[in-house]
Amino acid sequence: MALWGEIVRRFTYLGRRSQFERELDDEVQFHIDSRADELEQEGVPRAEAILRARREFGSSLRAREETRSAWQFRWLEDLGSDLRYAARAFRRSPSFALTAICCLALGIGANTTIFSVAMEVLFSQPSCRDPRSLAQISIGGVDWIPMQQYRFLRDARVFDGIAGINVQMVTQWKDGDASYKLAATRLTEDFFQVTGVPLAMGRGLQKGDVDSTVLTDGFWRRRLGAQPNVIGRKLVLDGRLFTVVGVLPRGHRTLVGFGFMPDLFVLTDPGEVMMYARLPEGMSHQDARARLESLCQEMDRVYPDPNHKWARGISISGVGGMERLLHNGSGTSMMPVAAFFGMLMVVVGLVLLIACANVSSLLLARSFSRSHELAIRFALGGGRGRILRQLLAESLLLALCGTTGGLLLDVVLTRLISGLPLPMQWIEFVIQPDWRLLAYSAAIAVAVTLAVGLTPAVKGTRAGIAIALKKQDGRAGSRRWSLRNVLVVGQLAVSLVLLSGGLLFIRNLSHATSLNLGFDTAHTVWATFSEQPASCTPERFRELTRAALERFRALPGVDAASLARGVPTAMPIRFSGDVRADTSSHAARLTYNFNSVGLDYFHTMRIPILRGREFLETDSAGAPPVAILNENLARLLFGDADPVGHTVLLPKGEELRIAGVARNSKYSILWEEDALAIYRPYAQNTINDARFVSFVVRAQGSPDALVRALSKTLAALDPEAAVEIKTMRGALQPSLVPSRAGAVAFGAMSLLGLTLASIGLYGVLLYAVSRRIREIGIRVALGATPANVLSMVAGESARLVAVGAAIGLAVAVFAVRPLSMFLVPEVRASDPVNFLAVACGLALVAALATVAPTLRALRVDPAVALRHE
Amino acid sequence: MEPSASPELLPGTLYLLILRTLRSGPLHGYAIAKRIKEASRDGLEIEDGSLYPALNRMLVKGWLASAWGVSENNRKARFYRLTPEGRAQLEKEAGEFDRLVRAIKLVMRTA
Repeated sequence: MALWGEIVRRFTYLGRRSQFERELDDEVQFHIDSRADELEQEGVPRAEAILRARREFGSSLRAREETRSAWQFRWLEDLGSDLRYAARAFRRSPSFALTAICCLALGIGANTTIFSVAMEVLFSQPSCRDPRSLAQISIGGVDWIPMQQYRFLRDARVFDGIAGINVQMVTQWKDGDASYKLAATRLTEDFFQVTGVPLAMGRGLQKGDVDSTVLTDGFWRRRLGAQPNVIGRKLVLDGRLFTVVGVLPRGHRTLVGFGFMPDLFVLTDPGEVMMYARLPEGMSHQDARARLESLCQEMDRVYPDPNHKWARGISISGVGGMERLLHNGSGTSMMPVAAFFGMLMVVVGLVLLIACANVSSLLLARSFSRSHELAIRFALGGGRGRILRQLLAESLLLALCGTTGGLLLDVVLTRLISGLPLPMQWIEFVIQPDWRLLAYSAAIAVAVTLAVGLTPAVKGTRAGIAIALKKQDGRAGSRRWSLRNVLVVGQLAVSLVLLSGGLLFIRNLSHATSLNLGFDTAHTVWATFSEQPASCTPERFRELTRAALERFRALPGVDAASLARGVPTAMPIRFSGDVRADTSSHAARLTYNFNSVGLDYFHTMRIPILRGREFLETDSAGAPPVAILNENLARLLFGDADPVGHTVLLPKGEELRIAGVARNSKYSILWEEDALAIYRPYAQNTINDARFVSFVVRAQGSPDALVRALSKTLAALDPEAAVEIKTMRGALQPSLVPSRAGAVAFGAMSLLGLTLASIGLYGVLLYAVSRRIREIGIRVALGATPANVLSMVAGESARLVAVGAAIGLAVAVFAVRPLSMFLVPEVRASDPVNFLAVACGLALVAALATVAPTLRALRVDPAVALRHE
Repeated sequence: MEPSASPELLPGTLYLLILRTLRSGPLHGYAIAKRIKEASRDGLEIEDGSLYPALNRMLVKGWLASAWGVSENNRKARFYRLTPEGRAQLEKEAGEFDRLVRAIKLVMRTA
């Protein structure tokens, strides 16, 4: 407490130093005057009295110095004066300071921005009461627990409540004539009480709120125009009336995290839930695990299941930070996302390294041109430590300015990212600067200060007085030279590595965009159509489906239309199990894509039938069951033999005669390879009471115009049905996001790195030429041709680039290997063409950076140069 | 940094003397020096050059507060007064000093 007061008083002193000095002068003067008055009263003449008083007081200078030092933070003031000195020095060479600060600001800005985004995406804390005592629990090795088991655990009351959520649900919202698909997270009744999620308006959902809903801020703003009186408003969801009882605040982060943000929350029966338990005070995760284990053993006795034991695979993990990231309950690991950000952090780290090398190189050049000044300061008795500190103060000032610039860049960029409409629905990020960012920036500033300043400062102060005063480069000069060259070579090598990665991602994007999916994406539209089982019989649904298909085919601009259960890449269906060909005696355990498709499906999707035939009208429900395989599966089961006419046995004992073989295409995700697939006729669909169907429609021209027409047609058939319609191309956008993000981030970073490295090369070459002007002048005077001069400068550049490129290539070959996990199979990380292209690009940029220094060397006039000092 | 007090003063006693002098009310620097000299019947003389550093160190520590006023000879002067912390410090130091002096006296008498 006393110490704190002391610090405050010292700081107030710092703020009003000039006033303090004046007052101290006044006080000393008063003391001397008073003593003189007294002496005068004793009879001493005035003039002598003043002199005696002064003598008695002693050295007023020393008194003042000591008085001042009572108040000072010595090191702080020294640092302040060092910084002021550095600022003055920079003001004298503004272009140097500006270049250095811009380099650092770009490097640091890139770092802090990626850091901010990574922190938000991976480690953000969910918005709820006391997140630390909330834990996600998985039992039986899975996250998703049926309601029966959920109720059992909840009613055991081991925890202070268990909240269950189901985030995978969608609902159809009818707003006037329009109908939208919304993400409606379904909650258990006690969700809001257990989690303590704060609300901006109204209240949370409670027990008995059957037809009530809580909205998220984004939905309320975007879809309801941020109406202030939204509480009590009615929404029609899946044909039922729901009342809005609350709205979540802006910047809410869900328990699930990773940016997931539904449109609204309802209490409709979730079916199965992810569980979040509120741990009682003092209960550790270990305790909770033990309690849960015995509880699950009991549950296994109450609901026996020979195939599944809930007491196995119990895990308890926190709802934020590292634990949520590592949580891998149902195999949906976030590790690829984490790996992506980890890679980006490495990349921006390298960019910052390049930027530091640039500034370090600039400072090095400066410290040579200042060697005279430094030598004088040495000669006057400046300690090496003192001068070292002075030089480090310069790099500290640069780092501080650079960090400030970088933070500004960060705030602007993250605001841009936060406001960006993401192509992925229901993903929202709230990126705000926080203490973690500040701490990170401070750490970066310190690291940059040392990285940038230490080498030049040590080098600059090591040279002895004698050498420096001679103001010659001499031997010492040639050694310093190589240090700058090493820096440039390093920069070139690092930027080559970055470029290799960047080019891979850009090629990846162009491949992913123009990827041949094996079916027509340019002209097709798909629509899903579903009805509530309660309001629609299977017969009526079949009738509606048939009518819809007829009306589609009659629409102008429609080339062909068909139906299917799934839509490739948008709504894939996958099965696994034992599959056997009749030619083979043993089955193969396979994971394969499945679809049951209507007549004309292959024609509509433009998937060629390579052997056999398409499905025909005669493949009806009563007819012998048939199937069409894709090439991969046909080859796997039958080798090179023609499979048509053979039969294939599926896991449930079904025997299908093979009618044909279809060309391979993509089924689930864009980067799948060698995927297997089986098609069956829609008429032989085994699920007879389905109220869900997909349509695929081929447009003669642009598919966009068809979306409205299809929507109208379906709405006319049944306005209550849930419908989603998208062009195939539009629906593919979300699956391109990873490629886009990678290409943008990596491409931008590698270009930034290359730019910085070429600035570095340019600086080094220009500096070299300016130091050798005299030498060049002598050479020209002695008869050197412009070609000689050219080869001298350009040769220097070529040597640096060659060494840098060689090192960079050697590193890149290994460094880009792990990237293949983010790339489509068509882009190989080890492709030599890639490295060749990158090396050529680097050489080109290096050549550009060499032009100006070379021209300068060529323009050297011997008459001027020989007088040059 | 300890005050470089005059050789006649025991180290650290300058603070004690100043605190004691100010107990009766605010004084300016010159008056403090004079009061100490008179009270000790010229036995103690504070070097003028060390008075002000000591006063300022005590300001930093929060034992004293200062304000500008007009002196008895009609000049602008800075007056120092005790803060509650200063008063507490005085009690503490006075007690310690008494113990120290008693101990030294005992040693001088018996040893």
